[in-house]
Amino acid sequence: MTALAPGPGAPTDAIGVRRAFVRERARRSLVRRRLASRAALVVCAGALAASLAPLVGLVAYTVGRGWPVLDGAFLTHEPTPPGVPGGGIANAIVGSVVIVALGAAMAVPVGVAAAMFLLERRGRIATTLRFCADVLTGVPSIAIGIVAYDLLIAPGGLLSLGHYSGLSGSVALAVLMLPIVVRASEAAMAAVPAELREAGLALGVRRSRVMRSVVLRGALAGLVTGNLLAVARAVGETAPLLFTAIGSQLFSLDPTQPMAAMPLVIYNDGTQPFPAAQQIAWGTALVLLALVLVLSVTARAAAARLNRRAR
Amino acid sequence: MTTLLEEVPPPLAPVPGVARALRRRRRRPGGRLYAVLRIGGALVFGAVVVALVTTLVSGSSQAFGHFGPSLLWSGTYNVTKDQYPTGVFIVGTLVTTAVALVLAVAVGVATAAFLSELAPRAVAAPLSVAVDLIAAVPSIVVGLWGLLVLSPAFAHHVEPFLKRVPVLEWLLHGPALGPSMLLAGVVLAVMILPTVVALSRTAMAGVDVADREAARALGATRWQVVRTAVIPGARSGIEASVTLGMGRAMGETIAVAMVIGNTYTIPHSLLAPGATLGSAVINNFGEANPGLDRSAVVALVLVLVAITALVNVGGQLLLRARARATRT
Repeated sequence: MTALAPGPGAPTDAIGVRRAFVRERARRSLVRRRLASRAALVVCAGALAASLAPLVGLVAYTVGRGWPVLDGAFLTHEPTPPGVPGGGIANAIVGSVVIVALGAAMAVPVGVAAAMFLLERRGRIATTLRFCADVLTGVPSIAIGIVAYDLLIAPGGLLSLGHYSGLSGSVALAVLMLPIVVRASEAAMAAVPAELREAGLALGVRRSRVMRSVVLRGALAGLVTGNLLAVARAVGETAPLLFTAIGSQLFSLDPTQPMAAMPLVIYNDGTQPFPAAQQIAWGTALVLLALVLVLSVTARAAAARLNRRAR
Repeated sequence: MTTLLEEVPPPLAPVPGVARALRRRRRRPGGRLYAVLRIGGALVFGAVVVALVTTLVSGSSQAFGHFGPSLLWSGTYNVTKDQYPTGVFIVGTLVTTAVALVLAVAVGVATAAFLSELAPRAVAAPLSVAVDLIAAVPSIVVGLWGLLVLSPAFAHHVEPFLKRVPVLEWLLHGPALGPSMLLAGVVLAVMILPTVVALSRTAMAGVDVADREAARALGATRWQVVRTAVIPGARSGIEASVTLGMGRAMGETIAVAMVIGNTYTIPHSLLAPGATLGSAVINNFGEANPGLDRSAVVALVLVLVAITALVNVGGQLLLRARARATRT
């Protein structure tokens, strides 16, 4: 309280002393609180650095290790037998594309149709389905893979082929994508103003036509974004493919046979102690990472573009 | 009045064709094909959910019938009797998830506060997009990085250093090997961080501006606004982000299997290798013989699904509670 000692020009009456005391307390409090605010800013900025560092480091490391491996031959050749240098991942790239494309071909129509159902109906069934979609989104992907194995591959399964196949991997990925597609599509369609739908219905237009010309057109941006993000998620999944598509060293376009996929190559080669195999894993990781990022960026760009046009 | 009524055109019903069309439309809004389409979509979706649950339940029934409910907390691993130490895996899942949550929540919520409240918009906007994009990095790539980069770094530098930190040394004893519960937790934290940041940031951005202005008007500094208005206002959203991140951490399998070391005993320290439900499934399903052995692995899957479903339902309820609170 030394600052409150009466100096020249200091108040002499009791009220003045009290007022100066309060003012000084407030000043000190403000200094303290500003300091705390500054410190919190630094701590939070540090947290941002701490959360970006591993993520950026991981991407940078993958690029650094994968880039030297990448060349024309890596992208266009089949793998060589162990010990033989060279070889590529053409079979895994094609396998990933075929498996995910087939999966999307199953998940997107079903998912969008189910979203239409949710949009048109408000009731216990719709609420239950929506709840199921939310829970299914969180089901570990390994569980989907195991169920796909039991139903599609194990002898005695419901729709069993009796052997591993790319198609069963597609089904597993479709189940993985389905809840994402349903929820994203429903959100996109629900964002179309109800007045537009009602205007169409008031003109006597059939509901199917309103859905096609008003809702689907209005929701196009959201639909494209949601479905692309679902595909981006599916491309990088390993666990559903481990016991379904199983992987293959051969180039194959036949989805009824075992198929290679990029995540499986990363898992199988990355867990080996040999530098040559780890090289292939890094190269594959870079290709996969690039593909996923391109899909995500395209999804966002498409959303921004179509939104602007809609306005 | 009567004249007005007389001027109203006669109802459509007397014209037979129109009446029939109206009746048909009321029965099937939008035509047969459209009805088949959307109801079919809903049915297929429902069937997928039912198939998922019934397959897991019927697949694991043999193991539950053989071992009884003690299967859930069994700690013994016996290959010849097809017995798995489910209890060990549950402990491993809980411990790695706890490590991941401690790291990801502390760092993630502070990051979200920085991006949403403290940073200038020109900085926050691109960084927010960066965090969202990084959320798309496949878990297998994170696992590869954890196995080939983090694991040696942990064995040689991080773990020996942490063992000398006064309080942490109680949790960390035993040799620094690299693959460990700690490393698995760190890898999981990296994976769920974008989820926590993105959802917390959305929750914070949704706090009413009036709340912030009120705090500001009372003389709060920027940090005090965050601490007294924004974080309490976004609390249920932050809790939901934590719960959903927790569900993701528990359900992640492939990256964990690559860095946890896969041993089937109760770990005595965070530096010891261990196993989670997911990693145990990945490592055993391929070799499991049809019959009781495979059924025991499917039981692990069922336990994992049940735990993550519980956590996720909790997260969804929190999100819904928040939506209801913001609406009123």
